[in-house]
Amino acid sequence: MKYILMMNTMKAGAGIPAWPRKDLQAHIAFMHSLNKELHESGEFVLAEGLSFPDQAKVVRAGKDGLPVTDGVFPESKEFLAGFWIVDVETPERAYAIAAKASAAPGPGGAPLNMPIEVRPIMSAPPPEML
Amino acid sequence: MKYILLMTGTKAGVQGYLAWSQRDRDAHMGALQSMAKEMTASGEFVATQGLADPGEAKVVRGERNGLPATDGIFPESKEFLLGYWIVDVPTPERAYAIAARISTAPGPGGVPTNMPIEVRRFATHPESKS
Repeated sequence: MKYILMMNTMKAGAGIPAWPRKDLQAHIAFMHSLNKELHESGEFVLAEGLSFPDQAKVVRAGKDGLPVTDGVFPESKEFLAGFWIVDVETPERAYAIAAKASAAPGPGGAPLNMPIEVRPIMSAPPPEML
Repeated sequence: MKYILLMTGTKAGVQGYLAWSQRDRDAHMGALQSMAKEMTASGEFVATQGLADPGEAKVVRGERNGLPATDGIFPESKEFLLGYWIVDVPTPERAYAIAARISTAPGPGGVPTNMPIEVRRFATHPESKS
C-alpha cells in the first residue's frame, strides 16, 4: 500500500533558514539518512521538498479558461513543506516512518516532533468516487 | 522545473462530491483523465494521485514509549489534500495554465467547478532529478 507523509507548516515555519548553519546541516543530514534507509528497505517511492510559501499561488480558471492567480494567504493557512511517498505493508509501518521523520532535529539538535499527516494514496480514484 | 498542483478540500466538500449524480462524476473524472493523457503526450506529466477519504488520515508526532503517537480527529474546517499532479514545465506560467485547466473540470450539470489549485515549485535538493 502506498502512503503519502506530508510535512505541513504555517507560514511562520518558513523561518528554518534562520537556524544556525550547524543545526540546519544536522536537520538535512537526518532527512538524507532517512531517505537512504527507505531506499535500502525498498519502501521509498518519492520524496520532495517544496519551495517556500511566498512562492505559492492558488490558481482558479477564470473566464475563457485563463488562469487567475492569487498569492495572498491568511497567516493561519497550512502549507505543504515537503512529502514522502512510501510503499509499505501496513498503515502502522507508515506511522512508524512518519514518527521517525517527526523526530528530525531542530535548533540545538532537539527533536522537532513536527506533525506529519499520513494518508493512503491510490493510482486511480477510489471506487466509491466513480 | 517541477511543480506540484495540489487540489485541497474539506470533509464537507468530499461529502458534496459523493452526492453528485453518476453522470456528473463520470464527466468530471473523464475530463481529469483526458488532461493527464494530454500532459503525457506533451511530455509534461510526471505523476498524479488521488488520496483516500480524509476519514483515514492520521497525524503522527514523534513517539511515546517507542511507538508513533497518532491523532485522527480533525476540525471540520481543516483542508485536506484530495489529489495532486506533478508536472515538469519550463515556466511557472505553464504550471498555472495547467492548474487552470484542472480548475475547469466539470461539476454538477457540467458547470466548471473552478476549484482552487495550489501551485508549488519543488525546491532543488540533492535527491531532485530535475
